[in-house]
Amino acid sequence: MTSTDVSVTGSRFPSPFEVPTPPGAEGWQRMYPWYLQFSQENREFEDSVLWFQDGMHHPEVEFPFDTITHECWRLALGQYNSRVFAVPPAYGIEQRILNGYLYITPIPVTDEQWMGERVAAFTRRAGYYYQNWDRLFEQWKTKMTGLIGELKAVDVPALPRLDDEEVVTRALGTTRGYRLLEAYDHTLENLFLAWQYHFEMLNLGYAAYLNLFRFARQAFPGIRDETLAQMVAGADILFFRPDDELKRLAQLALELGVADQIRAGGRPEATVEALRATERGCEWVQAMEAVKDPWFHFSNGAGFYHHHRSWIDDLTIPWAALTGYIDRLERGERLDRPRAEVLERRERLTAEYRELLATDEDRTTFDQNIGLARTVATYIEDHNFYVEHWHHTIWWNKIREFGDRLVEGGWLDERDDMFYLNRWELGQALYELVACWATGAPSRGPHYWKAEVADRRRIVTALRAQPPAPALGPVPEEISEPFTVMLWGITTERVRQWLGAAAAGGEDELRGVAGSPGQVEGRARVILAASQLGEVEQGEILICPITAPSWGPVFGKIGAAVSDIGGIMSHAAIVSREFGLPAVVGTGSGTKRVRTGDRVRVDGDTGVVTILERAGRA
Amino acid sequence: MPAAAHPHVIGLDACDHPVGGSVGGKALGLGFLLRQGLRVPPGFVVTTEAYRECLARSGLATRISRELDAAGSLRARQRASARIRALFESEPPAPDVLDEVRAAYHALGGPDAPVAVRSSATTEDTAEASFAGQLDSYLWVQGADEVARHVVRCWGSLFTPQAISYRAHLGIAPHGLAMAVVVQRMVPAEAAGVMLTIDPVTGDRSQIVIEAAFGLGVAVVDGEVTPDRFCVDKVTGELRSATIARKHLAHHFDPDAGGVGATAVPAHLQAQPCLTQTEVGRIALLGKQVERAMGGRAQDIEWAVAPAGGDGEREVLLLQTRPETVWSRRTPAPIAPPGLPLMGRLVEALHQPVNLDDRGPSTLGS
Repeated sequence: MTSTDVSVTGSRFPSPFEVPTPPGAEGWQRMYPWYLQFSQENREFEDSVLWFQDGMHHPEVEFPFDTITHECWRLALGQYNSRVFAVPPAYGIEQRILNGYLYITPIPVTDEQWMGERVAAFTRRAGYYYQNWDRLFEQWKTKMTGLIGELKAVDVPALPRLDDEEVVTRALGTTRGYRLLEAYDHTLENLFLAWQYHFEMLNLGYAAYLNLFRFARQAFPGIRDETLAQMVAGADILFFRPDDELKRLAQLALELGVADQIRAGGRPEATVEALRATERGCEWVQAMEAVKDPWFHFSNGAGFYHHHRSWIDDLTIPWAALTGYIDRLERGERLDRPRAEVLERRERLTAEYRELLATDEDRTTFDQNIGLARTVATYIEDHNFYVEHWHHTIWWNKIREFGDRLVEGGWLDERDDMFYLNRWELGQALYELVACWATGAPSRGPHYWKAEVADRRRIVTALRAQPPAPALGPVPEEISEPFTVMLWGITTERVRQWLGAAAAGGEDELRGVAGSPGQVEGRARVILAASQLGEVEQGEILICPITAPSWGPVFGKIGAAVSDIGGIMSHAAIVSREFGLPAVVGTGSGTKRVRTGDRVRVDGDTGVVTILERAGRA
Repeated sequence: MPAAAHPHVIGLDACDHPVGGSVGGKALGLGFLLRQGLRVPPGFVVTTEAYRECLARSGLATRISRELDAAGSLRARQRASARIRALFESEPPAPDVLDEVRAAYHALGGPDAPVAVRSSATTEDTAEASFAGQLDSYLWVQGADEVARHVVRCWGSLFTPQAISYRAHLGIAPHGLAMAVVVQRMVPAEAAGVMLTIDPVTGDRSQIVIEAAFGLGVAVVDGEVTPDRFCVDKVTGELRSATIARKHLAHHFDPDAGGVGATAVPAHLQAQPCLTQTEVGRIALLGKQVERAMGGRAQDIEWAVAPAGGDGEREVLLLQTRPETVWSRRTPAPIAPPGLPLMGRLVEALHQPVNLDDRGPSTLGS
């Protein structure tokens, strides 16, 4: 797997118009909507800006249907920046798909006068949210849980030979067929609405972080981001809850004497059935069932793809953690997170930096900045759980029900084949399915889509064989769009590193962000998806694209973590600090340059990963 | 015997503000450290009272004034300096002063205890700071008579040509001058150096910079070797960077020469760190404690690491602390433009986003 066809010269990455289609992937363009593709008509703009591959949220070749998540945030992020809060220098983030990968570029506000006019609106509107943050966040939670409730209630009716009697007896005036189409629209709207909420407060939160970080770095040029993050973070982050619940269940298993049964092996689902046979087992299962919603709605990935499954879909991951916790409790270990220590440290750090400031004005500024950052922190820390984990777990399962209808109609062989259709195509297919159910005529659909799915399966495989260029187009003097910098960690320096790495190639050193301090040497284990986590052996160094909260348990096993994507606030960095492991995050290309079995050194103080010895050359 | 209010000799642990004027800045600092319970080599101060009595006793003051009055040109100052310093050497202090110095010296560790004899200036702030380097210090002085002789030599160092010129430049009248001298047990340092509780390059108060070399601290202070450089985060205690230099020489007591001399560091040790990471941490923590004790003013500290007991244990001792002068003298300006409200600062931040992630290790120093 090389990307040698893609040339990097001087201070620009290849033009999107120069990148060849990988062999065997011809025709990939038809899988995606026309508006997400580079085009000759729009070439002047598209060739003038730098596009980044969004490896943070969408690192994989896109299944046609799965573009829906980034289409949601394209809309939501953009409208809040551009039209609602009037972030003075920033519009939204534009998207394109090339060879199946998502590329993004921030759209700056270039009209100086308009930028100036936006300041007043921003001050007024963002100011309103900051002043009312806690109340609005409470309101937000109500909106979000309401939305989740609506989603659960969506009915995706099957199409029997004869519709229900009640269509007549209750004079419904609508049929199952109509309600199926309505349900599809409603389910898509539900996702778009979730993302409307997602960005309602997010960028304002990040702006508050940015304000604090900027001030702190001016006051203390040597301050570590990690230290700053610790001064802001709360101790009760929702992300820790699922793991905390497992610890409680482990404790309960020991108390009820069912621990050995849980550890006996076999499929967790089978174990659960076996447990139900005894009274004590039943009690434990009930306790588990009680916490599943929402705490097992915890994605093994970022929640952006249909194949990011959650604990509730596959109990293997929580089960591995659960049995590990039972072992540790038996050895007499305490599993409680050091909540009080975290808060004590946060207060001590804050007080010490405050004391070191030179003037009283600085102390006032510091108090305001840190106060605002802490106010927004709960939203920043918790919104992901509500949207990408809890909501999306349910959403992906709900949308699969439409795949079931297509399978029942003979259109597809398997429900997940539906993800080879994009959202517009799926809507058309469902219409046609219902229409032919109505007319009784044979449809072209089953022939057309079975063949097309087979062909797209081949295309996706061919696209996957070619890793994406990290970026496309000219490199600007400076990258100053605030959200690209904050949310994606893409900076002038980072892009130059990519350029350098692409030009140098084959170097044995990767540079990223020092995410968690310490140095460790060990054997690398490259993990590209949560389903591979079982391969990780004790003490290995995890090399992954990005980690997700549900990966938590694997951190008890590894010696260090290295991720392609992420910054100091990323999951991998936060959890590594919690576990006291070195971590280097945001290397850009770790999973592509390191191979399982390589001996590597991870320096979490400097952010450098060195490949000491290649696998098989020992 | 001298009146209790005007002693000639004061133990370092008794050096506090009431006697501040008669013991000088260095002794005050050391006394302060001792009272904080910090490890400082024991010692005493020969006060300014002893100096003044000596000047008054033999008419030295008048003779010095006469020499200085005649010293207008640089040439003349050099000649005056030599003559004044000779005057000091030829006029020993009064016998009771000498007796007190001897007694205090014996109490430190017997008739042959090696000590450092160092000037402790009493002139005011800025002058004091800039003077410090110009006043004499003598290492590894042994024997009561030798100690007394070096005390007098320190007094004479008030009248080096540079000091004379400097005072003339600042318009400081010579007749108010006085000097205290610190006599302190010599530390057989295996490593020593300086520490600033501020990043001298960026002025970052959250960072501590330690420079260290093998042997006595003089190699670092006088810039004879490129020292190892350690940067420690003052707040978190993390070691942020360690730059290990090739340290070709070290100062130790040389029994053959009867004093301190520079010797070559064995080749295989030159590029080794002269401190363990634990020691770096301990030194930095001491720096933080000292700064706190000094009312939060950034400090410029000399320290040494010496054997403590048997089996290779080492301890850190503090030899001196004084306020950092470069950054401390600046009038700090608030970071945010005065009067800019929180929302205004947010707008500014959005225009100049800092990358939240890209910072590698600290780039303290140069």
